[in-house]
Amino acid sequence: MGLSLGTVGSAATAIALGLAVYAVVVGALGAVRRDARLQTSARFTALAVFLAATTAIVVMQAALLTDDFSVKYVAEHSRIDSPTWVKVVTMWAALEGSVLLWAWLLTGYTAVLALTTANHALRPWALVVMQVVQVFFLGVVAIVANPFIVLANPPLDGPGANPLLQNHWMMAVHPVLMYLGFVGLTVPFAFAMAALITRRPGTEWMQLTRRWTLAGWGFLTIGKIAGGWWSYEVLGWGGYWAWDPVENVSLMPWLTATAFIHSVQVQERRRMLKSWNLLLIVLTFSLTILGTFLTRSGVVSSVHAFGDGPVGPVFLGFFVFVALGSLGLVAWRWDQVRDRAELDAAVSREGAFLLVNVLFLALTFMVLIGTLFPLVVEAVNGARVTVGAPFFDVVSLPMWMLVLFLMGIGPLLPWRRADHQTLARNLTWMTGGAALAAATGLAFGLREVYPLLTIGLAGWNLVSIGLLLAGAVVPRARLTGRGLGATTWRYAFEQRRKVGSMIVHFGVVVIALGITGSSGYRTDVQLRLPYGERVAFAEYELQAVAPFSERGPGRLSVGVEVAVFEGGRQVDVLRPHINAFGTSSMTVPTAAVRYRPGHDLYLSVAGAVDPSADGVIIRVIRSPLVTWIWIGAVILAFGTVWTLVPARARSVPAIVDAGQRANA
Amino acid sequence: MTPRLAAVLLAVVLAAAPAAAQDIVLDPRVFEIGRELRCPTCVAESVSESNAAIAQEMRQLIQEQLADGRDRQEILGFFQDRYGDWILLSPPRRGVLLVVWLLPIAAAIAGAFALVFWMRRWRAAAEAVAPASEEDLARVRAALARTDAAPDPTPPSPRP
Amino acid sequence: MRRVAWVVAVVGGLTALFVFGLLRGAPDRNVPSNLLNRPVPTFALPLYERYFAAFGPRLDLAEHAGRPMVINFWASWCGPCYVEAPHLEAAHRRYGDRVLFVGVQTQERDARAAGRAFIERFDFTFPNVIDDDSRVSISYGLFGVPETFFVRSDGTLAYKHVGPVDARVMTQQVEALLR
Repeated sequence: MGLSLGTVGSAATAIALGLAVYAVVVGALGAVRRDARLQTSARFTALAVFLAATTAIVVMQAALLTDDFSVKYVAEHSRIDSPTWVKVVTMWAALEGSVLLWAWLLTGYTAVLALTTANHALRPWALVVMQVVQVFFLGVVAIVANPFIVLANPPLDGPGANPLLQNHWMMAVHPVLMYLGFVGLTVPFAFAMAALITRRPGTEWMQLTRRWTLAGWGFLTIGKIAGGWWSYEVLGWGGYWAWDPVENVSLMPWLTATAFIHSVQVQERRRMLKSWNLLLIVLTFSLTILGTFLTRSGVVSSVHAFGDGPVGPVFLGFFVFVALGSLGLVAWRWDQVRDRAELDAAVSREGAFLLVNVLFLALTFMVLIGTLFPLVVEAVNGARVTVGAPFFDVVSLPMWMLVLFLMGIGPLLPWRRADHQTLARNLTWMTGGAALAAATGLAFGLREVYPLLTIGLAGWNLVSIGLLLAGAVVPRARLTGRGLGATTWRYAFEQRRKVGSMIVHFGVVVIALGITGSSGYRTDVQLRLPYGERVAFAEYELQAVAPFSERGPGRLSVGVEVAVFEGGRQVDVLRPHINAFGTSSMTVPTAAVRYRPGHDLYLSVAGAVDPSADGVIIRVIRSPLVTWIWIGAVILAFGTVWTLVPARARSVPAIVDAGQRANA
Repeated sequence: MTPRLAAVLLAVVLAAAPAAAQDIVLDPRVFEIGRELRCPTCVAESVSESNAAIAQEMRQLIQEQLADGRDRQEILGFFQDRYGDWILLSPPRRGVLLVVWLLPIAAAIAGAFALVFWMRRWRAAAEAVAPASEEDLARVRAALARTDAAPDPTPPSPRP
Repeated sequence: MRRVAWVVAVVGGLTALFVFGLLRGAPDRNVPSNLLNRPVPTFALPLYERYFAAFGPRLDLAEHAGRPMVINFWASWCGPCYVEAPHLEAAHRRYGDRVLFVGVQTQERDARAAGRAFIERFDFTFPNVIDDDSRVSISYGLFGVPETFFVRSDGTLAYKHVGPVDARVMTQQVEALLR
C-alpha cells in the first residue's frame, strides 16, 4: 500500500500544524469581533489539533515498538535489543521527540482548556495565545526537526538511546513531569496575556487559572527533585545538583513561578501587586522558552544539552518573539495596569510577599548572570572562563537563608499591619525554637555557620507552623466544644489552602535539612578493596566478595559484589557496577546505594573491574540525611495536592449555635 | 555538525572510558579540591564528579601534591597555570571577571533599595488619605451613640 | 514608551549575545592554550623499543633545545588520532631534518601493546614516548586527544592544534616554525 508509518506521522503533524494555524486565525478574529460562532469553531479545533497530535504520538510509539527503522528518528535513536520500556521512553530521549512530546502535552492542555473553561471574556484570547505557542512547537516538529522523515535505505539496526538515558527508569518520569510543569504554567501566561490584550488586568485571569498554576508549579517542583534523585542514582558521584547550565535554566522559571504563586495572594486579598503578578508570569514563560533555546542550541556547555543545527536559531527566534511580545505588552500597558497600591505598614503580610518577590527575582538574576557569564566574557575579549557550582553556592546561599527566614515569619504576619504585641510574642517563640535547634546542632558537634543557621531556621519554621496551627485550631476547639484532634482534622479539610501551604512549607524545611546534611557533612573517599579482606570506612567494614557480570536486553553489566559489615555483623550486600549499552563505547558507572534515614552509604566503581586483579577500586560516599530530600519532596507533593482538592463546605451552623450558647 | 566537531566529540566520548585500575587510595580532601576544578575532557563536570581517565589522573595528581604538603591554593594555581582560568569552576576574582562576583551583590543591594523605595512610596500613598472633617466625625459619633443604645439582635459572627 | 524601550534593549542585548553564541559554534574544545608564547614544559619519558637505536631508552626534550619541535599527543583508543597519523608521518619525512617530531602516547595506562600496534600500523619513524600517568599531558594543559603543539626553536609555543591535523595545517604551521 506504500503508506509507511513515517508518512502517516508526518501527515499527522502537518495536519495538526495546519489546524493550529486555523485556530489562531479564527480564534483571533472571533475574539476581536466577539463572534461566538468563530470562537466556538476555534475551541473545537483545539480538540481536533489534540487528536492529530495524539495520532503522531501513537505512530511514533508504534514505529519504536515495531523497530521500524525507515522512520528517521527510530533509526537514529532506537535499537532492536533494547528492552520495551527503553523503546517507549526513546520517544523523548532526543531533540525531535522531546519537542513532539512537549507539543502533544500542550495540545492536550489546550483542548481541556477550550472545552472546560466557562465562557468568559478572557477565554478567546487565552486560547489564541495557547494556539500560537502550539503553532511554534508543532511547526518545529513538522518542518524544522521532523522525526518522521522516511529513510530510503533504512539500516538494519540503530545505535540505541544515549546510555545515560537508558540506565534508569527515572527517564520515563522526569522529563514528562518537567514538561507537564512547563506546559501547565503556559496556561496562566495565556490568561495573563488575554488580560493585557482585553485590558482587564484585575484578578479574573488569576482566579480562573489558580489550579492550573498550582498544578504546573507542583509538577515542575517534583520534576526537578526527581531529576536530582536520578542524578544521584546514575552519575556516580553521590550528588543531585551541579548548577549545570541546563539545570539552571529550568531553575529560573521555577523561581519566578514560586514568587508568582505567593504574590497572587496579595492581589486576591488587597488588590495590590497586579503589575508584579503580570510581570512574574510573563517572566516565567519567557524564561521557559529561553530554557528550551539554551538546552537545544549548544550555546552553553552542559551534560544535558542536546541538539544543534537549524533548531537553535528557530528557538532563538521564538524566544525573541515571546519576550518582546509579552514583556513589551506588560511594559506598554504598565500605567493602566498598576494599581493605587496602599501599604499600611512594611511589617505586614503584604510587605513579606513583596520581599519574597524581590528575593526570588534577585536569585533568578544571579543564576542568569552566572549561567550566561562565560558567553559574555567570550564575546567581550575571547577569554574562556567557567562559572560553576562553587560560584552559585557562595552567591545563593545567603538568599536561601533569607527565604527560609521569610517562610517562617510571613504566614504569621497579619494583613495590613502587624499588631506589635502579637508579633513580639510570635517572634519570641520562634526565636526560642531557632535557638533550641541551633543549640542541639552545637551539642552534636556542628560548628559550621550555614548548617547551624539552617538548623536554627528549621526550628524557626517548625515553631511557626505550630503557632499557625494552634492559633487556628485552639479558638475553633473552644467555640465548637470539640477536642483538639477532631478540630485539627476538620480544619485541615476545610482550610485546604492554609493547611496545604503549611504542609508544603514543612516539606521545604525537611528538604533544606536533607541538603544541609548531605552537602555539608558527606565523607567522600576512594578505597582499594582487596578481594576477601575487610576495609574499614566510617562505622562500616567493606569487603569485596567477587566480581560479577550479567547481561540484560541490550546491556552488559560488569561489577563487584561488596559485603557491608556494621559492628561485625553483615548488614547488606551492595553491587556497584558499570553498564555498557549496545555498541556504544560509553559506559555508565551505576552506583549501589544503601538508603537509610540517618545517612546513605553510596558505592560506585572507580576505574575498571578487572577480573584478574586481586582487588577493585571503589568510590565510597557516606551522605548524611540525603534521604530526607526525597521524603521532603513527597511531603511537598502531598501538600500541593491537598491545596488543589476542593474544600469541604465549612460547617457554619455548629459554630453559630455554639456562639449563641456562649452569648446566652 | 562539522566533521571536526564530530571528531573532537568522539575523542571526548572515548575519553570517558575509565582508565585501568590505579593503586591509589584517595583521601577526602582530593574530592574537595576536585570539586573546584573542571574536568578538561568532559562537557561540564568537575574533577570530583567525572569518571573520565584524565579526571582520575588529576585526582591522583592532587593526592600526590597534598602528600607533598601543597595547600589548596597552590594546587589550584598549578592547574590554572597549565590550563588557564577555564579550569577553575569558580572564576578568579580579577579583571573583567570581578564583574560576575560583583553583580550579585549589586543585585541584592539594588533589590533592598528598591524594596525600601516602594514601601516608602506605598506607605505615603496610604497616609495621604485626607483626614476626616469635623462634621464627619460628629455624624459618626452620633451614629455610634444610637447603636449603643439599642440592643443588638443578631449574634456575633466569629471571624474565621 | 520608555519602559518598552528598556524591554527592547534588554531583549536585544540578549539576542546579540545568543547570536554570537550560535555563530561561534559549540564551546570548549578550542580553549586557547595557556602556554602560548611561553616556554613549553620539558620532559624525559621512556621511548618505544624501535627508537632505542637512535635515541636510547629515554627521550629528554631538554637535550634537543634549540630545534623547532612538533609534539603530538595521541592515544590508541582515540579515533581521530588514526585519521591524522599518516599526515604526521608524512610531515616528518619531509621536515624531519630541520624539525623534531615527537609523539606522546597519553591518557591510557599500561597500554604498551596497543601503543606498539598503533605505531607499527602507521610506521612512525619519528620518536614516540609513553606518558603512562598522563602527567606530561596535564602539564601541557591537554583537553583531550589528539592535540598537536608547534614549538619554536626558542622553546616557546607558537600554536596548539586541537583535534586531528591535516596536510594543510601541518605544512602551514611547520613552515611558520622554520621562518
